Amino acid sequence: MSILVSQSSASLSLPQIETRFRNRIWRGSATGVPPDQVVPSGFEELDKALPGGGWPIGNLTELLLPTEGLGEIGLLSRMLAQATQAGRHVLLVSPPHVPYMPAWENLGMDSRRIVIVKACTPAERLWALEQGVKSAAFGAILGWLSGISQQATRKLQILARSAATLAFLFRPASARFEPSAAPLRILLHPARRDALSRTLRVHLLKRRGMPAGLSIYLTLPLVPSPGLPSALPEGSPSESFIQPLPASKVAHA
Amino acid sequence: MLWIALHCPTLSLDWIERRFPAPLVPAMAVTVRRGNQSYILQANKAAQQRGVAIRQPLASALALFPDLAVVEHDPDEERKALHEAAYAALRFTPRIVMQDSGLIAEISSSLKLFGGLKELCQSLNRAVAAQGLQLCAAAAPTARGAWLLAQSASLRTVINGTGNRSGSLLDALPVDLLASAQLHLEVIRGIGCRTLADLRQLPRGGLAQRFGPELPAELDQAYGNAPDPQEWFEPPPAFRQKMELMAQVEGVELLLMSVQRMTEQMCGWLAARHAAVREFSFLLHHEHSSRQPQASTLINIKLSERSSDPAHLMVLLRQRLERTTIAAPTCALELEANEIAAGENGNLKLFPAAQSEATSLNRFIEKLSSRLGHRTVTGLAIISDHRPEYSQRQQLFQLSGTSSDCETGRGNKAISRKAVPQKSMGRSTSFPNRPAWLMENPVELKLRNQQPVYGSPLQLLAGPERIEAGWWDDASMARDYFIAENELGQLLWIYREPGTAVENHDQWYLQGFFG
Repeated sequence: MSILVSQSSASLSLPQIETRFRNRIWRGSATGVPPDQVVPSGFEELDKALPGGGWPIGNLTELLLPTEGLGEIGLLSRMLAQATQAGRHVLLVSPPHVPYMPAWENLGMDSRRIVIVKACTPAERLWALEQGVKSAAFGAILGWLSGISQQATRKLQILARSAATLAFLFRPASARFEPSAAPLRILLHPARRDALSRTLRVHLLKRRGMPAGLSIYLTLPLVPSPGLPSALPEGSPSESFIQPLPASKVAHA
Repeated sequence: MLWIALHCPTLSLDWIERRFPAPLVPAMAVTVRRGNQSYILQANKAAQQRGVAIRQPLASALALFPDLAVVEHDPDEERKALHEAAYAALRFTPRIVMQDSGLIAEISSSLKLFGGLKELCQSLNRAVAAQGLQLCAAAAPTARGAWLLAQSASLRTVINGTGNRSGSLLDALPVDLLASAQLHLEVIRGIGCRTLADLRQLPRGGLAQRFGPELPAELDQAYGNAPDPQEWFEPPPAFRQKMELMAQVEGVELLLMSVQRMTEQMCGWLAARHAAVREFSFLLHHEHSSRQPQASTLINIKLSERSSDPAHLMVLLRQRLERTTIAAPTCALELEANEIAAGENGNLKLFPAAQSEATSLNRFIEKLSSRLGHRTVTGLAIISDHRPEYSQRQQLFQLSGTSSDCETGRGNKAISRKAVPQKSMGRSTSFPNRPAWLMENPVELKLRNQQPVYGSPLQLLAGPERIEAGWWDDASMARDYFIAENELGQLLWIYREPGTAVENHDQWYLQGFFG
């Protein structure tokens, strides 16, 4: 039987072999074993760097960021838009501020599919997050937990393994030196920006397979609209603060 | 027809033992008066170990063990306990016949649903035994036959008298099990009849003449030779049960057993009515005293989706009980189904499928709100208004498309979602440059060299955008919004209010972050 197989495969071309023995051929340059299912992040450069080509389903992903307002929602927005438009719900566990739904809708998300849980103590937050991962009701789960132990991340990761959901954990950048059980850890930095575009520097601290090399620069979908009067002349900000600016857009409801 | 009879030989003891928290059951005996003297009718294990025996006079039992807890035989309470057990059995079949010390269930139509006779018999046994009764069971093709067999079985065993075996099994039973033979037992024994087979060999006419027509009739019914009409147990139209506890229970843990029993009774009652519960409440009664004025603690549970699953209800109850502070020891429990709805039993799937997403979301919400509080799980609804503070409203999360009728429409700000086209909603009314995060309340920014500072001096990137609205209600505002950046890389949405400058300095506020 084995002879037969080797004879027939000898006459196959390389792409044929690849399609036939998919998942069983390992290339030296590949990022390890292709993980379970993935969801494309919507950013081509990022997808290339992520094992399997997207956010991994059934795994915990850590996003480390020094402070809010860097574009962290923009980074996830395409995935979240896809999930909510497919009719799945998204859970936010104790977000740091009030999510502003008109802006989330601008990014393509369906605000009716977003569930917010407010919990006061860290233990309650962790519990709510665990329940969310367990419940199989959500397409994606985003949790903001500042002081979370390694054991807790391990527990979350084990729970996530049996769930068909994307789990994201937002942690302060100072946690990058703490050990964590999440198989994917990403550090976010604000990058140099010019007046009208916003770039996020993404560094993969940890991933399955080969360690990632350089940082990736992503241009985020959320940019101040070019239709607005653009930046004030640089170098003389104080002056421009004093002079009254013309009201460009008067909104009447 | 196929019948399962559950006989509870120690019923007069069980009804009282089940009211104790399990670790606190004392050595106990039930007495019955005969003439002037009280005799021990039943004694539990702890009492029997101390030498208390059945049919002993009470005086000698007390002489042996003075701390014996003595309870008088109370047929009313026994019947009540049996009725409660019957509620639990209603989950398996609606046809239940009550007996003095047990119940008989007709199960031929439930066999398939519960996976065959063996499975059904086990689950039925377990459900009724979970109500705190010790049972022996038997299955047979006739009600009376099953009942006679169950009485002859030893504790926690099942006699399977189905098929051809029922005749031979019945033949071997002793005559003193027959209800109609009780008055004539001595005579029957005297003429050499020990088993039912012996009785059946005697001529029918003589038997009826000597011992009354009931005896041959009962035999015929047991063997299936005569019809045996039954009176079914009818559950009441409303569910309200109260259980007095025999001890003052302080902790929640000890209450859970009783809570679970009552919940299962309710679920059985619901199953018999093909209904599901939407709201139910537990009342924990406390002993009345002047030091402790609170007479009861109410635990009310509202479900977002009706349910009749005891396991799910118990999860909710447990979490709620853990969170509730109970003011005083509990002496009685009361359960009431406040609101029930016609239940739909979903069709069983050919292949096991995951729970629907809507169900698991509802369960998730119920679980969280029962532990963390009523208003923890929320959603945000968009309102068309230009003022950021008024353009969304927090509301209890509810599944879109399921129920649009309840408690969203609060005040005149609510917009009807149905009127707005689904897809373009929101996008058509809002502007592209809005931040993903909004501060709870606008934060006043410090000024350095007349420049706003947040972490570091802010640089304005775009603006101003004037938002002026709200003249029609009390919250009128006129603000110039700018997008600014600090050295940390945060993008901020800040504003100033024109015309409110103090000493020629504008006052700046932080409204949100571009996340």
